[in-house]
Amino acid sequence: MDKLYSLSAKSMKELLDKKEVSSVEITKSVIERIEKTDKDVCAYNSYNFENALKNAEAVDTKRANGEALGALAGIPLAVKDNIHVKGLKTTCSSRMLENFVAPFNATVTDKLNASDAIIVGKTTMDEFAMGSSGESSKLAVAKNPWDTSRIPGGSSSGSAVTVAASQVPFAMGTDTGGSIRMPAAYTGIVGLKPTYGTVSRYGIIPLASSFDQAGPMARNVDDLAMLFNAVCGRDKMDAVTKNYTFDGYGDSVKGMKIGVPKEYYGEGVQPAVKERVYAAIETLKAQGAEIMEISLPSTEYALAAYYIIQCAEAASNLGRYDGLRYGFRGSNTSNVEDLYLTTRSEGFGDEVKRRIMLGTCVLSSGYSDAFYKRAKLLQQNIAKEFTDAFKSCDVIITPSIALTAWKFGEKAGNPAEVYAADICTITLNIAGLPGMSVPCGFDSTNNMPVGFQIIGKKFRESDILTVAKCYENAVGGFAVKEF
Amino acid sequence: MKIDIRHIAKLSKLSIPEDQIERFEEEMQAIIQMVENLPEIEGKATAVDTENTMELRADEVIPSASREDMLMNAPQTAAGCIVMPKVVE
Repeated sequence: MDKLYSLSAKSMKELLDKKEVSSVEITKSVIERIEKTDKDVCAYNSYNFENALKNAEAVDTKRANGEALGALAGIPLAVKDNIHVKGLKTTCSSRMLENFVAPFNATVTDKLNASDAIIVGKTTMDEFAMGSSGESSKLAVAKNPWDTSRIPGGSSSGSAVTVAASQVPFAMGTDTGGSIRMPAAYTGIVGLKPTYGTVSRYGIIPLASSFDQAGPMARNVDDLAMLFNAVCGRDKMDAVTKNYTFDGYGDSVKGMKIGVPKEYYGEGVQPAVKERVYAAIETLKAQGAEIMEISLPSTEYALAAYYIIQCAEAASNLGRYDGLRYGFRGSNTSNVEDLYLTTRSEGFGDEVKRRIMLGTCVLSSGYSDAFYKRAKLLQQNIAKEFTDAFKSCDVIITPSIALTAWKFGEKAGNPAEVYAADICTITLNIAGLPGMSVPCGFDSTNNMPVGFQIIGKKFRESDILTVAKCYENAVGGFAVKEF
Repeated sequence: MKIDIRHIAKLSKLSIPEDQIERFEEEMQAIIQMVENLPEIEGKATAVDTENTMELRADEVIPSASREDMLMNAPQTAAGCIVMPKVVE
């Protein structure tokens, strides 16, 4: 059977369950596909082909012996290169961790292994997950399969690209301010940032610990749900995780109330994006949803609050990279102070340096009241506005990003403008809410994918997936790039 | 607000080459402008989500990583220890 690699995870599972194909056959097809296409899209920092084939064989043996199998048994997937897989490198696409080998598994990895999934490689990302274009990677720089001269979005750039280019059916990303939802939107796939506390952060290199959340990326809603269900739930190694079980989802929005906040459709949002998102809302209305305008007035300050808190936490988290215990160590240094400076200055890229400096600045003596404390207050206001809005609606719909994928280098030298592109996604991380990007057609000016974001109440991923599934059915599925 | 890149870099344990100071200063200035106009808000910030509080695990002794695993990523080791530059003369 050819093109096994292009099947959905759901179809792979059906074929495997019926014993019409083996996991080895699927995994081989996926490996060949990656070998053939990855030089063009550069989704991976490292491959895990040898282990993948061994694991696929083990799953096939288990199946042949009639042993109990996990929910993802024999299905290949990729994980972002900030998630530990024991024995493989975890580089965060940084020179600082270029040769770092994970000494233990992330809980997410343990859960994937327990599900009998086949990990085929580690996907590239913005350096230390700092960025929304994928361009800040110091290793592989992933390219958008819809137009390889354009950015795939970040920071989970490689995970989005490997899914969009049909190398694997789904992949794990992480999202601190939109790092799952933005690349999903830019590459025309679905991506879910779950509620904070749903998926364990243990063994995932932190960016901003109070915002970080891992989640699934896929080409359709069923596959996304399958992967989410395998990785969510309480983990005693992560104190913020809850006893969460995913309730599944329906496909009807009849009687559901959808809030549309006017603040997310302002001047900064490109008309071509707005047009597609409004069309998606009309589609859901035609399916029986009730549409209502709502207001989230603190949104205008969200970007400032986000970057202050995120950079403050990042500067603190990245303090551990001192060249002493692990990672890159600067050479030719005369004393410890010199070692710190050389290690950090040579090991980190410019974007990481900017954020460490911004974080250090907002936490420094004389500024922490004006910046950090005020940002924390704003965070409470933003969260409260969402809580109030959800008293009158079930989900909220916004664009996922204000624009579509730009050309590589187009916004170089203008980090503030790139930061501003995050405005639609960051509020959810600030408030700890779940959100999902869903493809809704193409930008009429450049034919690049547009995504809309469905925001749900805390721990109500079920509502989000119901809306997404209804939309997917109504439009007859999402376009897949022939690549 | 004016940014003093040299001071911030020093606090961040980063050394910025002289010929890059100006570029970093301009970029940081644009970012600071974006974040500095926060409104005055009354109230007290708490870092805790009172509805979803943290749940600590029991304090139990469990097997964790071995010394070999923990040292395999160290830049320099000797006799099962990490080697670092001299701190006391």
